[in-house]
Amino acid sequence: MYRFATYVWRDTIRWKRAPLNVLSTLAMPAAWLIFMGLVMPVKYDNYLDFVTPGILVLTMLTSSLGAGSSIMFDKTLGYLNKFLALPSPRESILIGKIVFITLRGLMQSTVILIISILIGATIYPISTYIGMYILLTLFGISISALGTTVALYLDNHDSYAAFQAFVSMPLYFASTALIPMNEMPDALRYIAEFNPLTYAIDGIRDIAQGIIPTFSICFLIILAILIMIVCSWKFRSITIG
Amino acid sequence: MTDIFTSKLSKSYEDVLAVNSLDLSINNEIYGLLGPNGSGKTTTVGMLTTLLSPSSGNAQVCGHDVTTEPKTVRECISYVPQYMAVDIRLTGRENIDFYAKLYGIRDKSERKKRIDYALDIMDLNDRADDLTKTYSGGMQRRLELAQALTHQPKVLFLDEPTVGLDVIARKMIWEHIADLKKNGITIFVTTHQMEEAERYCDRVGILKKGVVVKEGTPSHLKSALKSIITIKSDGKMPNILPDNVDFIGNENGSVVYASDNGADMLPSLIKKYDEAGIRVYSSMVRDPTLEDIYLMSVGTETVDTEQFNRAQIRRIIMKG
Ligand SMILES: Nc1ncnc2c1ncn2[C@@H]1O[C@H](COP(=O)(O)OP(=O)(O)O)[C@@H](O)[C@H]1O
Ligand SMILES: [Mg+2]
Repeated sequence: MYRFATYVWRDTIRWKRAPLNVLSTLAMPAAWLIFMGLVMPVKYDNYLDFVTPGILVLTMLTSSLGAGSSIMFDKTLGYLNKFLALPSPRESILIGKIVFITLRGLMQSTVILIISILIGATIYPISTYIGMYILLTLFGISISALGTTVALYLDNHDSYAAFQAFVSMPLYFASTALIPMNEMPDALRYIAEFNPLTYAIDGIRDIAQGIIPTFSICFLIILAILIMIVCSWKFRSITIG
Repeated sequence: MTDIFTSKLSKSYEDVLAVNSLDLSINNEIYGLLGPNGSGKTTTVGMLTTLLSPSSGNAQVCGHDVTTEPKTVRECISYVPQYMAVDIRLTGRENIDFYAKLYGIRDKSERKKRIDYALDIMDLNDRADDLTKTYSGGMQRRLELAQALTHQPKVLFLDEPTVGLDVIARKMIWEHIADLKKNGITIFVTTHQMEEAERYCDRVGILKKGVVVKEGTPSHLKSALKSIITIKSDGKMPNILPDNVDFIGNENGSVVYASDNGADMLPSLIKKYDEAGIRVYSSMVRDPTLEDIYLMSVGTETVDTEQFNRAQIRRIIMKG
């Protein structure tokens, strides 16, 4: 408990002390939201309400994939080796990373929610927001665990960046972020049905309408557990090689 | 109990046998593992610090097996890797505090006491609250030693602690290492700086392609040679050498020979140069150093420094 919090503390300070980091993590999602919400088609009554869950999840996706770059950074610069020789449980490195990245993603999500309200999105009751945060947290944990696992397999920043680009855009466009499922071409729909982004996004939309998205929640919980298992197994195998 | 004990310890990567059947027994001393780049120093340290699992053989640190009780081993050691890794956006104090917390020192006043002690011992007090971005290489190294000290380890592993530092910073690091040993810490240090090893290590092992080819105190190793002749000339070296003169290697543009009695043998050696038509620029007779022993043991094969430099440069770029 104490040890992983120490890793979170370290990452937080490092992040906080690089003003450009802070600016970009907060300004990027805002830019996305304003662009998508105001400029894109006005086919729906409130496209902003439709598109906000997508932006939330996209932001969480990009932010969580950053967990991989972060662990890659620790790995290539030799921090990881130092940590692994410490008596504290090795898994705390991993948990610390996932917790920090997920919390950072939730912070970005908060910025998005606030801005969306400022530019005209519907204001929901508190319980709705709590539900959204739960879904986003589950999604963030899954993706940041996925990112760290992949980064543990790869050996340099370039290949991780390639993975990141290769995964994030297709996942995003093959999800219900921009168009609802029933308006998709068939090919796209098949992908979208297996896409975790779809579950996170639709789940959030359901919550916004007062429906409890049991299936989405279960799907994301199982996904998070599976990825965490693979991730910690992989972590164990590389740390004693 | 032996602080570090290994028996037939080996490690192979896919196609390289990086460490080959190493037998070590180290106690209450500064032990220097010497060898050119790629000879297996880091791999050895990796196995002893539980970062790499041995391919065969076994190793005990503080009496605990590195493969079956890695966690207990980590509880009694500290490790400072070859490449510096301090968080440049944290202050010196924060960097140490971070490790103190990871070492599990939860009590705040105890932590403060240990941090102050470590800062004090490493002479970092007056810069403790500056970001480490502003530290020199030597200070960052000392900061890493300070981090390692908050743990009060029984055995300290240092992988090339002085590489890339200037002369004064190197001396300072070694003085600190010597002090730590006086406080009862066993130190396992790797280096390819022979003068430093000769001066500060109680015992050294010379590693060549994963095998320890010589081991002992520097003075014991040096006693294998009586005297050294070095000759700078315009050519290579004569094909025929006088009896009692042995070629050792090339060093800084000179050819190095060993002899039982250098002063007496010098004239006849120079005569051989004359006979071979090689012009001698300068010659010198001196006492042997550890460097000569090292040269004799590992040869002058040009080591692949390129790989090392590339890694180093990449690290520097990424930190900046
Ligand atoms: N992860 C690795 N995979 C494959 N070969 C390696 C790896 N690490 C080191 N080696 C090889 O093992 C040998 C010993 O390397 P190393 O222990 O780093 O030497 P040193 O620290 O003395 O420079 C070298 O030939 C190196 O290329
Ligand atoms: Mg090395």
